[in-house]
Order: sequence, then structure tokens, then C-alpha cells
Amino acid sequence: MPTQTSPVIVPDTDERLDVDKPWQVVVWNDPVNTMTYVVYVFRKLFGYDETKATELMLQVHHEGRAIVSDGPREQAEIDCFRLHNHGLWATVEQ
Amino acid sequence: MTHFRTTREGIEVTLSPEERMFLGDVLPLLAGIGARGSDPAADRLNVPVYLDDPDANEEWWRLMGQDLESARRADRAIFKKSVSSDGPVILDDEEADAMLRVLNEARLALGARFGIDVEADHDELPEDSRQVIDYLGWIQEELTIELMRSL
Repeated sequence: MPTQTSPVIVPDTDERLDVDKPWQVVVWNDPVNTMTYVVYVFRKLFGYDETKATELMLQVHHEGRAIVSDGPREQAEIDCFRLHNHGLWATVEQ
Repeated sequence: MTHFRTTREGIEVTLSPEERMFLGDVLPLLAGIGARGSDPAADRLNVPVYLDDPDANEEWWRLMGQDLESARRADRAIFKKSVSSDGPVILDDEEADAMLRVLNEARLALGARFGIDVEADHDELPEDSRQVIDYLGWIQEELTIELMRSL
């Protein structure tokens, strides 16, 4: 039986890293959303406790943005959808 | 007085006739929001999901935009019920959440149309505009605090 040599496919290193790299959901500071409301949304959508939700809210407020969740792209897009549905200014990035 | 009270049946909403009339006006405001690119309120409520990738952004809107619109319409229907009744209304947590989202949506829409780009802009608003946005903010804050108690 002849031995068939399959071509070796060398994955593009950068591309492979991109596939593995989690997608991040970023919430941006906004002049209208209130602190209480943002904490409530973080707690409700992500199940964060009051301390974690408040830390994230303050990071958004003082630094202009905070990463609130990460994971596969589909999950990040769903999280972003839920945040938009609550009026928060959220984006997805890798 | 507070407008929201957690009872065994749900969150009880009590509004005066004047408040119901005022809050009812939120619905035509939201229904009248124009298209992205032509109305600052629409731009604020439909912010890009991918900042550096317009194609991915348009794809996201193609897939999710309708769902977002449907979710908002469903929220507004619940909001309408909450502000239309003569007496106190009982909302479950999901309905109260819907009311909260609509109050916030109205503030975002007004904030965008009033040109609030930074927090300090709020203090420079004409008094009548500021009163409207502050009243909505007050009601929203009360409801947020009430809902936070049940998390």
C-alpha cells in the first residue's frame, strides 16, 4: 500500500492566536446614564456583586471605559446586545 | 412620597394624574425617533458595536437590529400599561425592568437631542429642558433602587 503523504498545513500563527484570543465587551462613559443605573445593569446582566459592579462603574466613570465581560465572539455580541438594550454604550473588541 | 413599593404581588407603581400624563408623553417621543444619521437620539440609542470595523458593525445590525427594535417596542407596551391606569399598578420584576429601560431610553434620547455631550452640559440646559430630564431621572433612580433590593 503506497504511503500517501498529506500536505502539511502550517497554520498562520497570528491568525491562530486571534482565534484563541477572547473578545472583550467594553462599556464607555456616558454623560446621561446614572451611576446607580449602571451598577444595577452590571449586577443584573452579569451577576456581579455590588462591590465588583461598583468598581467597574467607577472605572467607566473615571477612565472612560471598562472591560465588563470577555469570551467567545458570539457571547460578547450577545452581552453587547443586552447592554444596548439597557441603553449602555457598549462595544466589542479583540 | 415614593412612586414604587415592593409588595408580595410585585412592585406597586403609584403615579399622580399629572405624572401619568407627563410620562405618557415619553411614548410619542420615542416613537418619533428618526433614522440613524439623521436624529441624534437614534445615533445615541444605536451606537456602533465594532468601532474599527464598519463591515462587522453593519453585519451585527443586520442580525441583531430587528431584535433590539422588537425588545424596545415590547418594553414600551409595558410602559404604556404602567402609566395608563388610573390606580396603582402592580408590575412583576420583568415588567418593572421594562419600565426602567424605557425611562432610561427617554433620558438618553432627550440628552442627545439637548446636546449633552459631557456631564457639565446638563447644568447649562434651559430650565424647562433640565426639569424634564431631571424628573425622568428622579423616577428612574427610585425604580432602580427598588429593583436593586430584589437582586
